[in-house]
Amino acid sequence: MKLSTIRLWAGTAIAGMALSGAALAQEPVTLVIWSIDGAQGRPGPTDTFSREFDEMNDDIVVEYRALQFDEIVNETLRAYASGNAPDIVSFDNPDFALFSSRGAMLDITDMVAESDAIDPENYFEGPLNSVMWEGRMYGIPKYTDTIGVFYNKDLLEAAGVEPPRTWAEFEAAAEKLTDPAAGVYGATFSARGNEEGTFQFLPVIQMSGGDYSNVNTPGAQEALARMKRMIDNGWASQDVLTLGQYDSTGTFNSGNAAMAISGPWELDRMSEDAQFEWGVTLLPTFEEGGARSSALGGFNLGIMSTTEHPEEAFRALEYFAEQDDRLFPEFNYLPARNDIELPSSGNPAIDEALAVFQEQLQYAQPRGPHPDWQQISKAIYDAMQAALTGQAEPEAALAQAQATIDGVVN
Amino acid sequence: MRRIVSSLVDGRGFDILLVGVTMLFLLVMAGLPLVYNVLMSFQQVDMFTLGAWVRPWAGWDNYRAVLSQPEFPLVMRNTAVFVFGSIAGQFVLGFAFALFFMLRFPFAATIRGLFLVSWVMPGLVVGAIWSWMLAGDYGVVNAILSGMGLVDRPLFWKSDPGLSIWAVTVANIWLGLAFNMLLLSVGLAAIPRDLYEAAELDGAGAAQRFATITLPMMRSTIGAVLALGLIYTLQQFDLFPAITEGGPANSSNVAQYWAWQWSFQVFDFAKGATVSVMMLAFVLVAAAAYVWSTRSEVRG
Repeated sequence: MKLSTIRLWAGTAIAGMALSGAALAQEPVTLVIWSIDGAQGRPGPTDTFSREFDEMNDDIVVEYRALQFDEIVNETLRAYASGNAPDIVSFDNPDFALFSSRGAMLDITDMVAESDAIDPENYFEGPLNSVMWEGRMYGIPKYTDTIGVFYNKDLLEAAGVEPPRTWAEFEAAAEKLTDPAAGVYGATFSARGNEEGTFQFLPVIQMSGGDYSNVNTPGAQEALARMKRMIDNGWASQDVLTLGQYDSTGTFNSGNAAMAISGPWELDRMSEDAQFEWGVTLLPTFEEGGARSSALGGFNLGIMSTTEHPEEAFRALEYFAEQDDRLFPEFNYLPARNDIELPSSGNPAIDEALAVFQEQLQYAQPRGPHPDWQQISKAIYDAMQAALTGQAEPEAALAQAQATIDGVVN
Repeated sequence: MRRIVSSLVDGRGFDILLVGVTMLFLLVMAGLPLVYNVLMSFQQVDMFTLGAWVRPWAGWDNYRAVLSQPEFPLVMRNTAVFVFGSIAGQFVLGFAFALFFMLRFPFAATIRGLFLVSWVMPGLVVGAIWSWMLAGDYGVVNAILSGMGLVDRPLFWKSDPGLSIWAVTVANIWLGLAFNMLLLSVGLAAIPRDLYEAAELDGAGAAQRFATITLPMMRSTIGAVLALGLIYTLQQFDLFPAITEGGPANSSNVAQYWAWQWSFQVFDFAKGATVSVMMLAFVLVAAAAYVWSTRSEVRG
């Protein structure tokens, strides 16, 4: 890394001298960019775009570092505390406020106002909210995703079940679709004791009229009681308590669950693995035509306030934003933009599913933003797990969560 | 001057130098972090003051907050189950295997050596393997149990709050078994054979020989193995993220994993430090027991 940087510097310097003759070459600026893209061996948007930006700008050298999903927040905290923070960093959207609320991210509101490449109006409301703090803008959404209900068309047809529109229908469908002899559960979801659990449960709280600071709603209690019933009756595997969304959806792909709550990041894998016809429908509501909600996933990009090169860093952000129309065709990410039409993927099932997820995105609400989101999130998934394991009644579990959240929020 | 040099090269000064270097190393590498940790448990720690020594004083607030968490009793109970379950399992099985391999049969030493595979494997790998084996719907453990007709529906080892702590304990017993067996084998090998022969001549049965020769002769080894087991078990961390993540609903959460969750999931570093300090008290007891049981080895 170091050596190649020096070589690049030297190369740039020589090129600069050759161009401007006797004039002194300007020393290139180094931008350090961190994200999780490329950490799993597969190229992602930020590593790809960083390399391109590095190659097309002689006055800027980009040092890109790929970090694992679980590490990036801790690593950035450490780097920031010791004065070695990157110039640009990418966080999962609920983690963003942890940094922006404490002045660790650069306020780019004024730069954005001047910019031709970035216009806040072009972003979906949910993702945009996650980069805002007290009315100022601290970054840009990188991509977005959400959750809906995947269903196995073959199994639903055989059982004569329609895709569920309400949670009551979801439960009834799960009961009918369960077939222990064939090893098929009616439904699968992730009620894991981490952010994934909150990701899937918070939308239910929201559509029952609550939000992250008001979780003990009658609807949320009803939902927990329903989930517990489904597990106790064997309509959903007890392992939903420990399965992440990836593994949970895996059981759907292998035909062991007839419905799965999951998101568009699964489309590629599903179209390869699933040996059956599948479709997607919106997350159910409490009553027919009732309030909708869904989870808002996806990462953001921001400049850290400690950067010595805010202008160059902002140019990089602008370049990233200009590439948003490549996110879907090249990387299968959904841009967080309302002005980009998704091209056809060539697979009708995926196109159909994407149309549903695009609609679902309009109802997606961010987690937070709150500087202590992780504590709020823990209170929510702890309550869910306590209720689903029978440690506490739904009402008592949610009351406990509410007490914890009150302590954090107020 | 010469006297100082000669004392340093060969004499009291050299001893003091050796002791000094060791103490300095201990102080810097173990003492400082320990003090820092204790200090942190009495402060309000913000993520952005992580690198500082001076922070707002919190007094006993962190301790009160940790003690009043609703999951605190559960985590303590789980820690006790995990520690005593693991040690008992590792020790009893380890002793049984050690005795078994003392019998002279072909390849006994080689096979005993192979047992060390479990000890050299990283905890995260062991955890991942056990996690697959214990999976509810498609795990091999359930397949075996139902094949033998012992269960009629799958046991959700990782997701059933009544079983989850045992899932991790079983994995930890497997992980520590070889180490216990090896230490106990060394102890067994050190017992003079003629003692057994003499006892046998006098008409002592196998059980009598075990109770009156093996156990008393092994006393200090057993003490050391148990104390080390306690320390290693309290340090065992990797299995938790790999198997249950402390869940569901904290039913398999133990103090060491809880401390990590406080610090690195919720970013409340002060409470994480508080839980670690509480654990330190237990480890100190174990360490004292270990030093006491090995005191005869140090003389020389």
